[in-house]
Amino acid sequence: MNALVIFVEQEQGALRRIGFEMASKGAEIAKVLAIPSVAVVLGAGANVAAEQLKSTPVDIIAAGEDVPVEKYLLDPAVDALEALLKEKGPSYVLFPASNAGKDLAARVAVRLNAGVITEATELSVVDGTLVAQSPKFGGSAIATIDFKDSTYAVVLCRPNSFAARKEPGKGELITLAAPAGKTYVAVIEERVAQEAGAVGVDEASVVVSGGRGLGGPEHFDIIEALAAALGGAVGASRAAVDAGWISHSHQVGQTGKSVAPQLYIACGISGAIQHKVGMRSSGTIVAINKDPNAPIFEFCDLGVVGDIFQIVPALTQLVKERKGTG
Amino acid sequence: MKIVVTVKQVPDTNAEKTFDPANNRLNRSTIENVLNPFDEYAIEEALRLKEKLGGDTTVTVLTMAPESGRDVVRKALAMGADSAALLSDAAVGGSDAMATAYALAQALKKTGFDLILTGTQSTDAICSIVPAAIAEHLGVPCLTFAKKVTVSDGAIEVQRETESGYLRVSAPLPALVSVTKSANEPRYPSLKGIMGAKKKEIAPLSLADIGADTALLGDPGSRTRVTAIAPVGPRPKGTVITAADATEGARAVIDFLVAKKVI
Ligand SMILES: Cc1cc2nc3c(=O)[nH]c(=O)nc-3n(C[C@H](O)[C@H](O)[C@H](O)COP(=O)(O)OP(=O)(O)OC[C@H]3O[C@@H](n4cnc5c(N)ncnc54)[C@H](O)[C@@H]3O)c2cc1C
Ligand SMILES: Nc1ncnc2c1ncn2[C@@H]1O[C@H](COP(=O)(O)O)[C@@H](O)[C@H]1O
Repeated sequence: MNALVIFVEQEQGALRRIGFEMASKGAEIAKVLAIPSVAVVLGAGANVAAEQLKSTPVDIIAAGEDVPVEKYLLDPAVDALEALLKEKGPSYVLFPASNAGKDLAARVAVRLNAGVITEATELSVVDGTLVAQSPKFGGSAIATIDFKDSTYAVVLCRPNSFAARKEPGKGELITLAAPAGKTYVAVIEERVAQEAGAVGVDEASVVVSGGRGLGGPEHFDIIEALAAALGGAVGASRAAVDAGWISHSHQVGQTGKSVAPQLYIACGISGAIQHKVGMRSSGTIVAINKDPNAPIFEFCDLGVVGDIFQIVPALTQLVKERKGTG
Repeated sequence: MKIVVTVKQVPDTNAEKTFDPANNRLNRSTIENVLNPFDEYAIEEALRLKEKLGGDTTVTVLTMAPESGRDVVRKALAMGADSAALLSDAAVGGSDAMATAYALAQALKKTGFDLILTGTQSTDAICSIVPAAIAEHLGVPCLTFAKKVTVSDGAIEVQRETESGYLRVSAPLPALVSVTKSANEPRYPSLKGIMGAKKKEIAPLSLADIGADTALLGDPGSRTRVTAIAPVGPRPKGTVITAADATEGARAVIDFLVAKKVI
């Protein structure tokens, strides 16, 4: 392989933490393989994003400020990446496991006849080639996966899997041109921000989730307050989502998001298998539930039998005191 | 308008999983298969579009699976799909997601389509790359993660979910759309639907029928290789305490988090 290319999502110059995680891990792997690491940022704001990537250990930062990714859905990004990769020759390519990252990975892979490893939670080099680990079957098994007969090899990386290191590398800046002579038909008519600046459950390092035990949408404020005090995101069980108390983007589980934060706090959630498969890979699991026989107590690290309406606000207060914010 | 919905059979989440040590594949024979729950939203959306558009709109479901895939397809037919196609061939066994997408794209060229609807992920693979790879193979607009779908006059508009909100995106047909859980509430098959499904045709498709290159399929066509798979043991049971009051419960949690160095 000639290079390890890392696609970093940016919006108006803002990067999410996964970008720094992937840049750090990608640079580390490239170094072991003795090939250059190249971070790519596309669209309006790419130059600002590129400056931020200088704090990471990558060798080259390719910025395509003029690639019109905010006008047309992904097609310009696919073209720009294809052009860059063809120029580099055989490469590993890392994408974030976000909605856009998944689409780009799949489409670039079709164009370059590449293999794709999805949901990678660990990357390493074994006998001079890249090897990934990925949870399968709702986290009930871990697969070790590598590539065969691949000129190009694509990996989708799960958030919260790698440490983000602040350790400037060469950080050489190059400019990517917009694809020339192309017309695109998938037009972005409007961009609607729902929860600006909020970290999604799948990327947060702390997730505080509420379930049916909350009894109504108005009670989600105790979950939001604890999540805010811990600097985390708000999650929910399907029962809470189906009741219309909170939007589906917060749902954790088989038909929601799979999360693996450092800390997961389940409040008024019974711990059904379909919820469990979405959160059992979390670092530490704490459960608060008034039913001593709730299944969640079978797989949490700390369980507290008690009333969430009493304990959660008290805990929020203690967290604030501890962090000096209350 | 011809709508084709791709559906997958997946092992039931509740089932105990074992793996064949010879090839690291799931022992599918020992577990019950179900329709991938995510695909129900795509089927429902197709049926709603058919109800709205009327006329000559038809809904076909397509699956690539062993013969057992028939049962899963029956559920889609019972929900109201008009017909089904089952791509079944020994040579596709062991295909990874990219090889699967190639085979499905070839099959779609054969069935024909104006709109392809898919689920956003499968509960066993959770890779979510099959839809975009199909669209790329077919060279049609790729409108994935849609929570709202509107079709009119040969054009389609979707609301595409992003990590921070959504995008309103338009494109001409034919196109591919993957449908999220927020789009609708899937219907249950009615008794009449279940009876009717028994009479509906499930057309068998082979690789020869769809003109697929076997070198791009199955194990030889897959560019990734699972070298080991290990079941993850249950999480060890932790400490469960009963809090006398709010303060004691909260204190127990904070002490634990501090000891664990998570805060
Ligand atoms: C195909 C399929 C897919 C599914 N996908 C998902 C999924 O993605 N995610 C998901 O979460 N579920 C999913 N489910 C649903 C799942 O089976 C459960 O029904 C759901 O997780 C239950 O949510 P819950 O724990 O909030 O509610 P419940 O099971 O009703 O539990 C509520 C809990 O709150 C406790 N409680 C009540 N009041 C208080 C109080 N004041 N203080 C403390 N505790 C209190 C109760 O003791 C109880 O244990 C799926 C189901 C199916 C069939
Ligand atoms: N074998 C298959 N047969 C038909 N459709 C499939 C198959 N595999 C995946 N799909 C479709 O692709 C979607 C995403 O699946 P995946 O990429 O495997 O997570 C599913 O919701 C299905 O609509």
